[in-house]
Amino acid sequence: MLRDDLREMVHEQLDFRELLYQLTARDLLLRYKQTAMGFAWAVLMPLMNTAIFSVVFMRVAPVQTRVPYPLFAFCGLLVWNFTASALRFSVTSLTTNTNLVTKVYFPREIFPFSAVAVSFVDYAVAATALVAMMIYYGVAPTAAILLLPTIVAIHAMFTAALALLLAMANLFYRDVKYLFDVFLTVWMFASAVVYPVDGIGGWAGALIRANPMTGIVEAYRSVLLYGTTPEPIAFGWTTALTLILLPAAWLLFHRCEFRFAENI
Amino acid sequence: MSTRRVLFNGVWKAFRRGQRHDSLRDLLPSLVRRAFGRSRQVDDNVFWALKGIDFEVHAGEALGIVGRNGAGKSTILKLLTRILKPTRGSCTVIGRSGALIEIAAGFHPDLTGRENVYLQGAIMGMRRTEITARFDDIIEFAGIERFVDTQVKRYSSGMNARLGFSIAAHLNPDVLLIDEVLSVGDLAFQEKCQARMKRFRDDGVAIVFVSHHLPAVAQLCNKVLLLDQGEPVRLGAPAEVIAEYCSGSRASDEQDVAITARLRRNDTERPDYLFDVVPGEQLNLDVKIEFRSDVLQATVGVVVWDLAIERYVYGASSDFVGVPPIRARRGDLRTFSFTFDANLTRGLYAIEVNVVDTDRHRFLGIARGITHFQVVEHISYDGVANLYLVGREGASVHDLRQAQPAVGR
Repeated sequence: MLRDDLREMVHEQLDFRELLYQLTARDLLLRYKQTAMGFAWAVLMPLMNTAIFSVVFMRVAPVQTRVPYPLFAFCGLLVWNFTASALRFSVTSLTTNTNLVTKVYFPREIFPFSAVAVSFVDYAVAATALVAMMIYYGVAPTAAILLLPTIVAIHAMFTAALALLLAMANLFYRDVKYLFDVFLTVWMFASAVVYPVDGIGGWAGALIRANPMTGIVEAYRSVLLYGTTPEPIAFGWTTALTLILLPAAWLLFHRCEFRFAENI
Repeated sequence: MSTRRVLFNGVWKAFRRGQRHDSLRDLLPSLVRRAFGRSRQVDDNVFWALKGIDFEVHAGEALGIVGRNGAGKSTILKLLTRILKPTRGSCTVIGRSGALIEIAAGFHPDLTGRENVYLQGAIMGMRRTEITARFDDIIEFAGIERFVDTQVKRYSSGMNARLGFSIAAHLNPDVLLIDEVLSVGDLAFQEKCQARMKRFRDDGVAIVFVSHHLPAVAQLCNKVLLLDQGEPVRLGAPAEVIAEYCSGSRASDEQDVAITARLRRNDTERPDYLFDVVPGEQLNLDVKIEFRSDVLQATVGVVVWDLAIERYVYGASSDFVGVPPIRARRGDLRTFSFTFDANLTRGLYAIEVNVVDTDRHRFLGIARGITHFQVVEHISYDGVANLYLVGREGASVHDLRQAQPAVGR
């Protein structure tokens, strides 16, 4: 039973990989057509946020970071933005496509997956600005950068797992979207995105360290900015969680799928 | 030698009626209620959309499904496309299936025709290379060559539907599921669609066709399933099943009168089950009524229904047309003859004859669908009534800007 389901899940994704591509291309194309700045927004949003947090954490309440603060913050915001925007899209990805969900059959996973893929393209575009900043601040990568693909993969898988769960939850209960908006703000400040986690102790520190996003953000900074391998416990925990969460979320989604058309 | 493509085996499908929890606000109280054991009988909220449906379709066969609105036709298609799962029984489709259901469902208004073809093709499970290979055929079939790179939101609804059908028509399926597509486009396009579906069938595709358009069902299908409120009424040869559907619900036995009626053209008689008439043709309706009780005062009503949309089209009664109130004794046999003009558009119409006791204000008998006729026309009018629109162009002024140079910029 489990094996049949798993085989079917993978088969369906392979059969419909064209659709995943087309839906992703559609969303990117639409944004490019409908907005004057197109992809520039992908770079501008984290840059503007970096400017704001640079004022706060360099002038108002200075914090100590191992690399210049704007670089530290931009790296964090870039990584965070991918997860946040992917999840924001996927929460409503099923409910905004009611027409397709109730009329045509194809694996529903494609909706949240394509939301993640669209955000990933933005993420890749915005990453060019990080390279520019690294050159400007004279930060050269070391051999540790070879771990980057692994970190990106874990990051994307973790995001996809949550995307599946949120899209499904919002289909059954529309409140999820609003709750999640609030949660995102809290989550960002609990993820060491704009300040270092080193100096924080007590329950708050423990909470921030247990948060899988902290592990991901810090892992990126380690291999890109500090030139070291990621901190093994934090990143190991995130990896383990992701490797369990993604198959579990996908399986749950797959088994609930046939109820979507009746409940949307 | 023919292979089985679709197997529907004792399928039951239940929907929960009312009470669906769209938000947590509804869920929490209901959970509380359930926890304290005050939940009502679950059965109250269950509605059976399908009750024990069995059929199979082999390669090269076409099954038509007919029935009134709410009979469960669309539910069957949704089960076949795997959008829904049966509550009981099993539903199997063997091979690649293509669905012509809501054919423009995946279109995005801001994308061009070309972009939408690729998107919709992918939704229907086609690969990019397949779509590219058939792209020109798709556009040509839809007849929108000049608008390929125009955004779909600028298309007329007819163009939209034609493009949608055209994409589906270029699929390469083993099983084709069709829902009400023939209601789109003009007559020429509809004929093209029908020819295309026939070719699919002859090429060995198994077809399941749901439609209100009975002549199309009769033409395409080798067998027809008639449903009534989720129950299978009859599965058999098209002519007999369609005839049964057209005759509708026969008079019930508690009636005080027995009604028979026959439709007659001015001269010739045609007992054909699909009585073809042209718009505006005069028809005669002969009614025979046998009274089973004494009646002081009664009238005979004639009602015309549009079978496809189940709409009341026209109703009149014998006293409107100068027939004096009927006074009859038990056992009397009375005959009436009516004439009317079929000022109607293309479609299938059923006639109802009823007898009303105007003294006691009650129906003595209603005979729904006692006879029927089909209006056939070669120009595609929309709507129900034929108002015989005529027109010509009037006087024209050329180049308004020169005539009134001061107006505008």
